[in-house]
Amino acid sequence: MKHLRVMLGVYQQYWRINILTTLEYRENFLLWFGFTFVYHGSAIAALWIVLNRFPSMNGWTFRDMAFLYGLWMVAHALHNTFFSTVGDIPEHIRDGEFDRLLVRPLDTLFQAIATPGQVFPDELILAIITLAAATWYSGVQVDATFLIFVPLIVAGGALIDLAFNLFISTVAFWFVRVDALRWIVIQLEQEFTRYPISIYSRGVRLLLTFVVPFAFMNYFPARYFLHKAHEGAVLPAGAGLLTPVIGIVFVALAYVFWRIGLNRYSGVGH
Amino acid sequence: MTAAPEIIVRPRFRLEPYVQFAQKAMAREATYRFDVFTSVASVLVRVYLLRMVWVALYARNAAPSELPLHAIITYSTVALLMGLVMDIDQTRQLHDKLHSGSIATDFMKPIIVPLYFFADGSGEVLFHAALIVPSLLLALFIVHIDVPNAFVLAAFFVSFFLGYLVGFCINFILNCVAFWTLEIHAVQLIVTWVTDLFGGEIIPLVIFPVFLQKIAFVLPFAAMFSTPLLIYVGVIRPERYAAAIGLQAFWLAVLAGIATLMWRAGAKRVIVQGG
Repeated sequence: MKHLRVMLGVYQQYWRINILTTLEYRENFLLWFGFTFVYHGSAIAALWIVLNRFPSMNGWTFRDMAFLYGLWMVAHALHNTFFSTVGDIPEHIRDGEFDRLLVRPLDTLFQAIATPGQVFPDELILAIITLAAATWYSGVQVDATFLIFVPLIVAGGALIDLAFNLFISTVAFWFVRVDALRWIVIQLEQEFTRYPISIYSRGVRLLLTFVVPFAFMNYFPARYFLHKAHEGAVLPAGAGLLTPVIGIVFVALAYVFWRIGLNRYSGVGH
Repeated sequence: MTAAPEIIVRPRFRLEPYVQFAQKAMAREATYRFDVFTSVASVLVRVYLLRMVWVALYARNAAPSELPLHAIITYSTVALLMGLVMDIDQTRQLHDKLHSGSIATDFMKPIIVPLYFFADGSGEVLFHAALIVPSLLLALFIVHIDVPNAFVLAAFFVSFFLGYLVGFCINFILNCVAFWTLEIHAVQLIVTWVTDLFGGEIIPLVIFPVFLQKIAFVLPFAAMFSTPLLIYVGVIRPERYAAAIGLQAFWLAVLAGIATLMWRAGAKRVIVQGG
């Protein structure tokens, strides 16, 4: 119990430093916010341009796709806000900083997560606004199921992101450079969450459902809330509400892998 | 009071050092073997993805007459292969050197510094250009690519080369911004996303709604991807080659002019500050 209180205190300090750093480098923050805005803006613009010319993609309209994007965006932003620091672990291993975490009396992964940088919840705020707008625009019914499950689903989606982030960072215990691997996974996620997975061949659909379950971040939940037909579906409609479970399972698997890597780790020779 | 004597002696221009710079850059790139694998794999994944996207879109909607399905798949695939060389920031070194301050010693060397960056960047690009061959061969397992006749192909390569030079100037200008403010990464990424969209790399500009098309075609980004690709798939017909390539040349001249001005102003700043 005392342990938990210490962790909470550390975590509060972590956010205090993050926010102070952001305030210190205001211009830098504004530039990066501009980048976030243009990044998501150009992705949505591209969807709009294509679906303006071709109004239906396997029965999905631009309105449906906006909701699909909004769900992914919130989950992804949630991960970026709270867990992006996990992605810095390979860098800490490379420069020897990581070894310092090992000798401190708190959980190593927790310390890695709470290493201050310049994190600010700007993308998350933007994402929530986008999802709210997309929900209204796509005409999804906001009822009790929606209000209970959507927060759980985006949290589960963030956990799926965390699982892959942690998995890749753990690989750094064996291979020091993992940037290329991370780049592949980030790109795969970005590309394969943008469109309904029913457009892909069966093998790819199975892969996105069971192996790299990005389809649970947005496709299955969006299909559930938009009442889309089961074209080429791998799973029944109700699967759309399973995202939190999938997130927990994959994070647990990644955590086991992390423990194995950590036990084996003996420094990179500084 | 007499003016200070001219002490800067211009060395006689020799090409060999720049060839050496380019070779060094190629060797440097070749050491990142896993990155090579990644860029090829990433191209192949996106070739598959775009094929599925266009197939799905063409299946349920009326196809545009100027771009049938096979043409748009060809367009996307060739765009991804071009991206292997176009998406590289060849002048990143300029920013790095400004950051570390080592640019000062470059000014003391008997070389033309911008040309050094061009040579270094070209070496890097040539190495990545070599990846086009395996990427293309593997991509042929995923998609069928139309091959136009030799004349069209020649025009495509001329246009592609001009597009590359336009891209070089844009990158160079962005890296020159680092003379004034070192934090340019966010600005570069913003320009990258805008270029991706308005350059016609992901979506052919002819598919844009008319008002956006009008904007996109007057921006310099169209000179990078759109012009060579539209020549390749035959949307730009031979009688319009002169106009299309002329417009690219115009943008190249404008951007090269801006790049020169920024370089001069920036270089003066470094010297005034004392390096």
